[in-house]
Amino acid sequence: MAPLEVEVSLEPDPVIEAYKKDVDRTLLRERLKRTVEERLRDLTQMQAIAEELHRAGRKAFP
Amino acid sequence: MIHFDTVFGVLVRSGVEFIVIGGAAATIHGSARVTRDVDIVYRRTAENLRRMVDALSPHSPYLRGAPPGLPFVWDEDTLRRGLNFTLTTSIGDIDLLGEVTGGGNFEALRPHSSPVQAFGIECLCLNLDKLIQVKRAAGRPKDLESIAELEALREERGKAG
Repeated sequence: MAPLEVEVSLEPDPVIEAYKKDVDRTLLRERLKRTVEERLRDLTQMQAIAEELHRAGRKAFP
Repeated sequence: MIHFDTVFGVLVRSGVEFIVIGGAAATIHGSARVTRDVDIVYRRTAENLRRMVDALSPHSPYLRGAPPGLPFVWDEDTLRRGLNFTLTTSIGDIDLLGEVTGGGNFEALRPHSSPVQAFGIECLCLNLDKLIQVKRAAGRPKDLESIAELEALREERGKAG
C-alpha cells in the first residue's frame, strides 16, 4: 500500500464529535430528500448568491 | 460559479476517467455546505491525459491564482510532468488531482467509488466513508466542520435504513 493510500480510521474522534454537536441535522434530513441533481443545482444557486454578495461587498467597501 | 452539468458533461463526453471528490462529492452525498470548485481525481494513463487535454482545451484552462502571462501550456506533456493542478476555466474552477492523501490515485479510489447520475450523464463519485477518510487524512483544521457534517450525514442515512 502506497503511503498516500494509508488507511484512516472511521472511529469516533473527540474533536469531530465536538463539532458534530453544531451540525444542523434538520437541514441534512431535508437535503437527503432531494435528488443528486437537485443537490447540485442548489449548490450552483448558492454559489451565484455568494458571488453576487461578494460583488456587492467589493463595490460597497472597496 | 460552477455549472456541474457543463463540467461533468464536458469530461464525460470526452471519455475522461475521473472520480468526483471533495466538496462536490460532499454535495452529492447531501452536504449543505457551499464549495466553489470541483475536485476530481483523474486516471493518469496516456490516453486519459489526452482526453483531459481535449476536454478542457476549449475552456481556456489556466493556473488559478497565477499572474497572467505565464508560459502555461495546456497539453499532455504539462499534465504528464505535473500531478495536481488547480485550474480556472471558462466553465468554473476545477482541481485536477493525480492522487490524494489517504486515498491514493484513481486506481486505488475506484473500488471506493460509485456511479451517480445527474443531468443525463453518469460519473463516478467517491463513497461517503472514503470521502470522510480522505478528509480526515488531509488533517486540515478547516475540514473539521465538513467532516462533522459528513459523519452526521452517514448517521442520518443509517437511521433512514
